[in-house]
Amino acid sequence: MYISHLDLARTMQRIITRAGIDIWYSEGFNPQPRLTFAVPLPVGVESNCELLDFKINSYMSCEEIAKRLSDSFPEEMKVISVYVPEQKFKNIGYIDYTINLFSSKLTEESCEIIKDLFSKECVITKKTKSGEKQVDISNYIKLVEAEKIDGGISIHTILTADNENYLNPEYFVSAIKNKLSILQDNEVNEYYTITRNNMLDLDMKGFI
Amino acid sequence: MQNISAILKNVSKPGRYTGGEYGQIIKDKSKVKARVAFCFPDTYEIGMSNLGMKILYGALNQLDDVWCERVFAPWTDMEEKMRKYNIPLFALESKDEIKKFDFMAMSLQYELCYTTAINMIDLAGLNIFAKDRNESDPILLGGGPCAYNPEPVADFFDIFSIGEGEEALCELVQLYIDMKSKGSYSKKAFLREASHLEGFYVPSLYDVEYNEDGTIKSFVPKYEDVPKRVIKRVISDLNTSYFPTKPVMPYIETVHDRIMLETFRGCIRGCRFCQAGMVFRPVREKSAEVLNAQAKELYKNTGYNEISLTSLSISDYSCLHEATDSLLEWTNEKKINLSLPSLRADSFTKELMEKVSSIRSSGLTFAPEAGTQRLRDAINKNLYEKDLLNAVSLAFRGGKSMVKLYFMNGLPTETYEDIEGISTLASLVVDEFYKTPNRPRKPLTVTVSVSCFVPKPHTPFQWEPQNSLEMLCDKQKFLAEKITDRKVRYNWHEAKVSRLEAIFSKGNRRLSKAIAQAQAEGMVFDAWEEYFDYDRWMEIFEKCGIDPNFYANRRIPFDEILPWDVIDIGVNKSFMINENKKAYESLTTPNCKEKCSGCGANRLGKELTWCPNKK
Repeated sequence: MYISHLDLARTMQRIITRAGIDIWYSEGFNPQPRLTFAVPLPVGVESNCELLDFKINSYMSCEEIAKRLSDSFPEEMKVISVYVPEQKFKNIGYIDYTINLFSSKLTEESCEIIKDLFSKECVITKKTKSGEKQVDISNYIKLVEAEKIDGGISIHTILTADNENYLNPEYFVSAIKNKLSILQDNEVNEYYTITRNNMLDLDMKGFI
Repeated sequence: MQNISAILKNVSKPGRYTGGEYGQIIKDKSKVKARVAFCFPDTYEIGMSNLGMKILYGALNQLDDVWCERVFAPWTDMEEKMRKYNIPLFALESKDEIKKFDFMAMSLQYELCYTTAINMIDLAGLNIFAKDRNESDPILLGGGPCAYNPEPVADFFDIFSIGEGEEALCELVQLYIDMKSKGSYSKKAFLREASHLEGFYVPSLYDVEYNEDGTIKSFVPKYEDVPKRVIKRVISDLNTSYFPTKPVMPYIETVHDRIMLETFRGCIRGCRFCQAGMVFRPVREKSAEVLNAQAKELYKNTGYNEISLTSLSISDYSCLHEATDSLLEWTNEKKINLSLPSLRADSFTKELMEKVSSIRSSGLTFAPEAGTQRLRDAINKNLYEKDLLNAVSLAFRGGKSMVKLYFMNGLPTETYEDIEGISTLASLVVDEFYKTPNRPRKPLTVTVSVSCFVPKPHTPFQWEPQNSLEMLCDKQKFLAEKITDRKVRYNWHEAKVSRLEAIFSKGNRRLSKAIAQAQAEGMVFDAWEEYFDYDRWMEIFEKCGIDPNFYANRRIPFDEILPWDVIDIGVNKSFMINENKKAYESLTTPNCKEKCSGCGANRLGKELTWCPNKK
């Protein structure tokens, strides 16, 4: 959750080596193992489902790979399943998230405000390499459910994540932060968590 | 911990503070009898690269009754938040605060980590001075290379481990557990008892008196049972001693993110400026067989694709060829790179070259240290111009086009002629490139990197003054003017940093006042360029009535009591004095393999079995 995409890729490479899986390396002067993660996980976002693609040089059953990987994982990582791919990562269309906001300022009413916020045009400032840009993110948001929980609000949302239209969930949170004037300075009493639940294909069905 | 997670979103590199890595050791805290917080006073990335920490973490955790955890210094952004929300310093494994531990062990690797170290004590919510802490506070244990002169930080620590710690620390913790279970424990009784263990120094058990001029008048134990001098600990057999083969695997990239295989301890050379070359005596080697077995085990447990053979001077390892051959048998096929840092130019052979050329790096580094033969003899480097030129010629023929050369300014007896010699030597290396028939077609770069000499305790140059800041800067400028060759790139080390190093490395107990003051003023991470503030330090010394020149720029007479005389590294003072005198006559001393010069370190083995020449 607190490591960058590159760090995760390097960690995974070492896990595969420890597991003794004969992974396919790139050709050339500086051969590198070929590993591809679907949709890089932003730092600070927890995930219940990450997808990793790699090729192996010699046959090993999916069960065997899963077992070996499990033995080599650190405690906070788990193998869900190992399978022969049926669709490519470019068919990922959406990601399902749970976002929990904790603040004493949040009420039942805030839930309605949040749902309403994304039902119409919602412009945020997006930082890109070429500078800041004003973007309406409402089109990227396919579902917003919000309910009051102890200490805050829990939001279930689905955001677009295909190649051209990926919305970082941090932008979703910052829109709420601005609207409700919460989570502005005291980060210990007011905070949020983002969890990726699942990746969905272009038809909004589970990707696997 | 929920609080910490919330904060982590807003700090740089949060992976420094989360723990949870593969290989970390978790124990049931209700079942262990002693908990050790192993603190490294620098960032996670640096601490996690430290082999000593890996060894001690593993060695302590081998004991069922002991749980050793890791703690690194939080970066300033994290510290700010910890202070703002009253989050005390915590250990990565359990996330428990350090106050709950039995020991707070601190690895002191470098003098400029002192403020960071003391700041960690403060962040743990403890009083920084040992005398102000109470019975229930953890025991502050110091160790590492800086413990060879622990005096500048003596007032902050309860006890220091002197020398190699893998056996000593286990004994110390065992003593603690025994005294606790017998009911005979009090901090005072424990420290007194611990001073009887080999390799432990309890500063509060000594009285230091000063002369009016600030020199030491007497340095004596308060009680008869406390040793007058503390003899450092050494591991007698590296083949059977503990070596970690299942280290913690960091998620984030660290400085040395690879397998570090220790080949031997000590150094046969005896360069007169080098502290490591003296304090790690005598030489003890690991067999090629053990090394290869450890390498295989480490590869299996880490998944790293690079193995680095570590030592003070790898080409002096007597089983180097055997070891590299047996490693290459399986590493090539598994696409593992082998790297050999600290190569000496005079033992760089074609065969070795072919082995290291399997690494993709296009450069090689050598350390002639001085520009003329006269000065190289004075520092006992025992390296000749022809050796260096042979080595670079070999490197060029092997396709390398980048050579880095390390030198030092301000060495005892140095003249401007010696400094000009650096430029001459660099140009000779450039000429050698163009003389090489099959030289690479890539452009040549010769980098000359010049640091400033820092006189170190426990070396033949310990009595030497450091050049003044003005002199050092003048010498750097002089060399810059002399280097006219466009193929030569010139780097120099910040002289102000070296001066501060000199002050602390030869410091006494009176410096603790300045360190405490600096910590109180928020100084931390002095070793980091962005936080290094020389002028501020000078103000602090003035405020505390400390004269930096007394420590850095004074020639000390041979008969003066040195603050670090209480530590016995095994090498006799008479040997050091003799080596110092020989420097002024530019006389060299043969290395330990050629001839035993009787430094005295062999006595630590209690029998004549260690030194290469005594076998």
